[in-house]
Amino acid sequence: MKQYIVLFITLAALIAALLIGCTDSAPTGPVIGLGNSTVTKYVSVGNSLTAGYQSAGLYKSAQLYSYPNLISQQLTKAGATIGTFQQPYWPDPGTPDPSTGKASRYIIIGWSGTTPIIGPAGEALTAGAPENAATLARPYDNLGIPGIPLLGFIDMTGNYNGTNTSAGLNTGIGYAILRQPAGTTSVFHQAAALQPDLVTFWLGANDVLGFAVGGGLIAATGNSPTPSATFQYLYNQALDSLRHALPNAKIVVGNIPYVTSVPFFTTVNPLVAPHIPSGYYMYYQKHLTTGMSMATTTLTEAYSPLITLKGQAYATLLGVSTCQFWRDALGTSFSYSALQAVGIDSSKPFGFHPQNPWPDALILDSLEIAMATNSVNDFNTTIASVAAAHHAALVDFNGFFNNVKANGIVIAGEKYTADYITGEIFSLDGVHPSDRGYGIVANEYIKVINASFGMNVPLVNVSALPKLSAPLSKVGNGKIDPVLPFGAFNSLDLLFSPSVQ
Amino acid sequence: MRLYSQHLLGTIVLSVLVVCIALGGGFQLNEVGARAMAQGGAFAARASDPSAIYFNPAGLGFQGSSIYLGTTFIMPKVTFYGPSNLSLNDETKMVDQTFTPINIYGTYELNDNIHIGLGVTNPYGLGTEWPANWAGQYITQKIDLTSFFITPTIAYKVNDQLSVGAGLNYVTGKVTMKIGTSIPFNGNPPIVNLDLSATGIGFNAGIIYKLIPDLSLGLSYRSSVKLDASGTAKFDPNYTLLSLPNGDATATITLPATGFVGVAYKAMKNLEVEADYQYIGWSSYNELAIGFKADPTKNEVMTKNYQDTYILRFGAEYTMDDIQLRAGYIYDHSPVLTKYVDPMLPDANRNGYSIGVGYKICEQWRVDASYFFLKFDQRKAENTVIAFDGTYNMTATLIGIDIGYTF
Repeated sequence: MKQYIVLFITLAALIAALLIGCTDSAPTGPVIGLGNSTVTKYVSVGNSLTAGYQSAGLYKSAQLYSYPNLISQQLTKAGATIGTFQQPYWPDPGTPDPSTGKASRYIIIGWSGTTPIIGPAGEALTAGAPENAATLARPYDNLGIPGIPLLGFIDMTGNYNGTNTSAGLNTGIGYAILRQPAGTTSVFHQAAALQPDLVTFWLGANDVLGFAVGGGLIAATGNSPTPSATFQYLYNQALDSLRHALPNAKIVVGNIPYVTSVPFFTTVNPLVAPHIPSGYYMYYQKHLTTGMSMATTTLTEAYSPLITLKGQAYATLLGVSTCQFWRDALGTSFSYSALQAVGIDSSKPFGFHPQNPWPDALILDSLEIAMATNSVNDFNTTIASVAAAHHAALVDFNGFFNNVKANGIVIAGEKYTADYITGEIFSLDGVHPSDRGYGIVANEYIKVINASFGMNVPLVNVSALPKLSAPLSKVGNGKIDPVLPFGAFNSLDLLFSPSVQ
Repeated sequence: MRLYSQHLLGTIVLSVLVVCIALGGGFQLNEVGARAMAQGGAFAARASDPSAIYFNPAGLGFQGSSIYLGTTFIMPKVTFYGPSNLSLNDETKMVDQTFTPINIYGTYELNDNIHIGLGVTNPYGLGTEWPANWAGQYITQKIDLTSFFITPTIAYKVNDQLSVGAGLNYVTGKVTMKIGTSIPFNGNPPIVNLDLSATGIGFNAGIIYKLIPDLSLGLSYRSSVKLDASGTAKFDPNYTLLSLPNGDATATITLPATGFVGVAYKAMKNLEVEADYQYIGWSSYNELAIGFKADPTKNEVMTKNYQDTYILRFGAEYTMDDIQLRAGYIYDHSPVLTKYVDPMLPDANRNGYSIGVGYKICEQWRVDASYFFLKFDQRKAENTVIAFDGTYNMTATLIGIDIGYTF
């Protein structure tokens, strides 16, 4: 009997030793590399989204998280030899609002009860030009210029690439980035001169967004988006030029999201709608109407017009006898007699009476939404076909942001949505992404780069990027109803007006 | 003598209850007796000790009066590599914990046909804890589920071949959770501490039929138990302007139904072997829903979509006078689909190997010890709904010990 026990114990010990010795080894991590390609120079072309514009300003602490800078860091991890990716860094607090001469960026200024007050804080500028403008003797690798439309890519006149401002020549943001006088250079020239083997090209949003952000009222674009045929011609020309100058470069283009997928247009309706008393309607000016109007909405019907984020400040005046909007909009040229001439009577309740209607500039009505949507559809059809014809890969940002708006996305258990502030994708201006939003954008690019060019560039760890800065001893969460100062978003109009800055 | 032993039984059960109730639970557990555990839990066709109250109440019909009690030390080890969807392969080790589910049984032979018993077990429980501020902090930081099943049981021996049994499960459950709350601002995210408890009722039943004296068939079933848990949620830090839903909170968890089919055969004079198929109705665990009374818009639903699954069990017991040698093997098929694998309770198919020994100290006392090693398949979580992909390496070591007293 004893030998059985000894045998059993021996056998048991043997099995136990074997099993304990066989813990799994660490899995090999994701494969990282550039496949059969090399990347020695990466150049990004675009508008404010490419520049890393955030919370209505361009400033270094945000530019560090521009999607091109994030992509360049990931490319380097995969073995690209691009060195330092050069961006035009404006030291915080960044670029100015031309109308005030102070920093244009929005921050959380303070609190009203449990809701944040958002707007420019009147921060004094620290620099008029990028910190490396004088020392970098070559074009910037990030050629994103806030405000430019598609035409800004090949423009040499300075009217569309931001080298001019209405105030004078060679003073705009475009000049600070291109650093050459109008007539001597273009975004295209500088991009081609760098001889990149990888280019991201994301233009076209301002050809419709400028129109939309101004509530369909931007004089510079003739109160309408860029005509589809013009857009097609320009897009062909842009990619022709790029492909001709860089025959072997890998080119990735992004298409254009619907304007209605950003919180600038989707935030205010749900805040205002519950405060419209039963049986009452908002009276608003329809597209291109300047005087009194009979169009009405309760903001809850199907295809209701969208109040812009800029309209949030004026929503607090609904029902009040006021002409505050006209006072702010017209400034020194404001007069009661001019208003009366078009039938507006400020003694009537604002927004609730046809003689004191909600202004066209603060609302995107169904006609304007349709115009913007049709333009985006046309532009994206053009982008897809022109990209394919020029062997450029395409990132479907429209599809991506539509999905974000409908479902949100989850990353490591955190949910990101298209909601203002709480959604975490968009910055305080409601149009441009946040640090994490730009990380998400960079990853959409990297996924397409990997799939199209056989690379294994690692994705950005979005969860490690910063969130919004706010004094945490006083912080709000959940449904934040932002309080925006009157005129807080005026600089956005300037940003999207194709010919300014 | 009878009076005395009843008194003794009552005293022991009570005092052990008081001592052991303070101990924690563990993972989903079928380790409710060291003798069965040493045989891979293949025990439903014999159920020849008081753990019959768990495996198959019909087994009581062939037993006398006794007490059987013990515990299992469960030491899981889990390492996560990832999150790979963020291009990371960082190693995170789950915090080491030892879980000690208990088992306490008392059986009493009322007469030759009717046998009764009472059991206290922790057949469902889970617990995981990850380091503070780890990459998955918004998914889970710590969870502990403990359940106590108090099971009064009755068995009726129809004849020497056939016995049937049934029991009532009075269940108390307790869940504690720590999960990071995502806020849109920089700074330490508030951690929600949930402390919830519930009671529920279920039943179990079984049958054992001895086809010939050497061949025994067993069938048993235990119902699911729905636990509507309620308690409190506490957010820390609780930022003054955050409208965080502190206060009353609820969660609903349904413990799955399970069933055993087993066949046992006396292969040699001293050798019994058994093979069991265990079914687990895990599809009842399709989501973990947490409700906040203060703000239902912040209610959280975590989709789990567990699948019904099975465990194959094989065991053998060789008897030599006072000593019994035991060994067993199990194959446990994971109920978790790849896209729902999460660090709250990472899971994979597993092979388990068990050995054990029983020693009859004297006519009344016996002691059983068992060692069980669970080797999980390496689990790659891909395209997970929570966007937290990666690889889990897991093992678990279990040591069980029970003592028995026969009147």
